Amino acid sequence: MDERIYDLIFICRPATPEEEITKIVNTLEHSAGEHGGKIEKTEKWGTRRLAYRVAKHREGFFVYMVVKSTQGDLIKEMERRLKVSDAVIKYQTIRLDEELKRQQKLGKHRERRASRRPRKQAPAPPAPPQQQVPAAAAE
Amino acid sequence: MPDQPAPPAPQETPSPTTSPAPSPARHEGHSGGGGGAPRRSEGHGGGGGGPRREGGPGGPGGGPGGPRRGGKRQYFRKKKVCRFCVDHVDFIDYKRVDQLQPFVQERGKILPRRMTGTCSRHQRWLGEAIKRARNIALLPFSTEL
Repeated sequence: MDERIYDLIFICRPATPEEEITKIVNTLEHSAGEHGGKIEKTEKWGTRRLAYRVAKHREGFFVYMVVKSTQGDLIKEMERRLKVSDAVIKYQTIRLDEELKRQQKLGKHRERRASRRPRKQAPAPPAPPQQQVPAAAAE
Repeated sequence: MPDQPAPPAPQETPSPTTSPAPSPARHEGHSGGGGGAPRRSEGHGGGGGGPRREGGPGGPGGGPGGPRRGGKRQYFRKKKVCRFCVDHVDFIDYKRVDQLQPFVQERGKILPRRMTGTCSRHQRWLGEAIKRARNIALLPFSTEL
């Protein structure tokens, strides 16, 4: 299986001590290692207001991670751990590799188009500047 | 409103190109800055129902409607451009709430395309991003009491 990239966000109770969050992060890293995956990035966003009440809390401590894995089992295991953990009130994993691939593809596509057809841009310019003006004014 | 005299011009210019434009536009969704512009306007022309309906009661742009070619609609609505296309956005990040916020109503509803002018593809991505943000409590599903 190809390597997949996931976004993992989990929210802890606002009263959770910092060490406990670090502990959760470490356990996740550990299980990632066991399943041949890797945690690329961990960001603690800190306490933020929740858009709606979760487990009777209006605030939560957000932790964001980027996980790379070739095994879907890893995600299963990480989600199981988060579910079991008392401090965690919400979590979400999103598979992102396909979207990132699409993003790269579109970017390349645009570059290629830009380099391939300089002559087509000769008649085009009148339109974009005028269209950008209202857009800029609107912002 | 002050922009109103300006828009008719860009719309007039791309309209001759509209007939050759569609084919490349359909094959490759994202065209360069130049290609993108005519396609946008074309898309809105397709939704002709919109301008007609809203032009009737509002009728703000009666003036600039005159010089347009032969007996088209008198009323003209300001052209809306997909903001994501202007910025060449290829991926809408659900984590950037500040970016999503303008496309969500106060009560948490996703704003329709006809209000924001977002193109269909970006509206699709936007909807997805908003729903993801909702799931993780970054955006509300609806306002609470």
